[in-house]
Amino acid sequence: MDWFEVISENFMVGGGRPLDNLARLRDGYRVVPHGVSLAIGSVEPLDLSYLARLSVLVDRIDPPWVSDHLCWGRAPGVHLHDLLPLPYTAEAVSLVVERVKRVQGTLERPFALENVSSYMTYRASAMSEWDFVAEVAERADCGILLDCNNVHVSAKNHGFDAERYIDAIPAGRVVQIHLAGHTDKGAYLLDTHSDHVSDEVWSLYRRALERCGPVATLIEWDDAIPAWEILAAEADRARAIRREMLCGLAP
Amino acid sequence: MTADLATMQRAIADLLARGAPVGSDPESASLATQLAAGNDRLSAAEQVDVYRQQYFLRHLDALREDFLTLEHALGDAPFETLGRAYLQAFPPRSFSLRDLGVDLPRFVAERAPWSEDPLLADLARVEWAFVEAFDAPDAPALDLATVAAVPEDAWPSARLVLQPSVQRLALAHPAHEARSAVRSGDASAASGTTRPSPAPTYVVVFRGPARLQCIAVEADAYALLDELARGTALGDACERVATASGARTASFEEKVGAWFEEWTALGWLSRVERD
Repeated sequence: MDWFEVISENFMVGGGRPLDNLARLRDGYRVVPHGVSLAIGSVEPLDLSYLARLSVLVDRIDPPWVSDHLCWGRAPGVHLHDLLPLPYTAEAVSLVVERVKRVQGTLERPFALENVSSYMTYRASAMSEWDFVAEVAERADCGILLDCNNVHVSAKNHGFDAERYIDAIPAGRVVQIHLAGHTDKGAYLLDTHSDHVSDEVWSLYRRALERCGPVATLIEWDDAIPAWEILAAEADRARAIRREMLCGLAP
Repeated sequence: MTADLATMQRAIADLLARGAPVGSDPESASLATQLAAGNDRLSAAEQVDVYRQQYFLRHLDALREDFLTLEHALGDAPFETLGRAYLQAFPPRSFSLRDLGVDLPRFVAERAPWSEDPLLADLARVEWAFVEAFDAPDAPALDLATVAAVPEDAWPSARLVLQPSVQRLALAHPAHEARSAVRSGDASAASGTTRPSPAPTYVVVFRGPARLQCIAVEADAYALLDELARGTALGDACERVATASGARTASFEEKVGAWFEEWTALGWLSRVERD
């Protein structure tokens, strides 16, 4: 393996095995924290104690960038622990942009937002998801963590063209790519990280590499976790596609 | 006119926390239709309901993982009933799922019908103690050189600080034995004829060098640890516990000496604070 991503919140703890394991991992690999609870798109005020604890973790890891999701998950009195999509509106763009700037100011690290899988669309949306992601990234001056599986899942769920999405993302802002498996629930696809990367997602990955160049890639497989050899083979496949698409440009 | 972002988020959060499917209640379905667009495969209510289902699945799974013995004692469906009632009473407020069960031991102890079986609260408390010990802050263990450097006459006013991972429990059943059996694969250890019988039990759950451990202690040892945890000076702590237990001074001092030796070896003590 070349590098690892860890869920930030699992390591924002006082001590014990999580931090011991993190230290061992850092001894041999570059580690990037990837959050699920920042709730950058929630109207609720940013949780400053959360940000303080994230800062401690970031100092501990010293990563090249920090990421979370372009979503909301907090409402008054409740943390939903989910990555809920935002309506694609000017109001949501403004809210997220202002909050990303505060997060970047606090963490003093490059910060990237990941596009999420979604299962609902809003009547209020006034633009496409890709335009929304692009506008947030440009105005907030932040990176994009392009999740090809999420693009595929949302494209299938909402009937849009996944390739058009990839083509519209500002390539220069993409700092990382996610690949993962999903589950077909019949009426919709569910992002589960519990299976192999699908052929359609490998195809989107090729397209993304063509546009974005040698961007760090990570396989997410954190449910129904397979034998190490299976996960390693999935990473090998990603490496082979990188080599093929980038003609030896990528390390 | 479309709702603003704050109104939308409040409405969706409210729909997600409802027990019944969004489409089964006309008011919920109407609200969902005002917010979500729906498509030819999922109506607006069904789109929102995907998130509602995930809300319960995710949180019930987290509770099952942290309170496995309680789940085995109750059974799958009754545990889910408990989990849903708990989520209703204590919606998740922390950014971390790790904190989800913080109020469950109290909820089980106070809320009928679960409060009618005191074993359930004991099982919940033991399970939660393991969660707390798992990732409690690290602190250096008290070493013998530090102990030796404390003058004899300074001990009565000194305060002994416990390791943050040391969780002390006074239970009405040996619930820790049931937990150990269930976690080792004996699914029936907390229920039926094999459920623990009532017996005053005192245990300490802590993080050892290699793994989490749980050790039963005497009632007086528990009481002394509790005094120390509250910051009581060593002299006062020993006096209070000895008085409460009616122990003779000489034999109590002997026991305290043995306890400190054991607690130091187990790494329960972190440091000595002196005025």
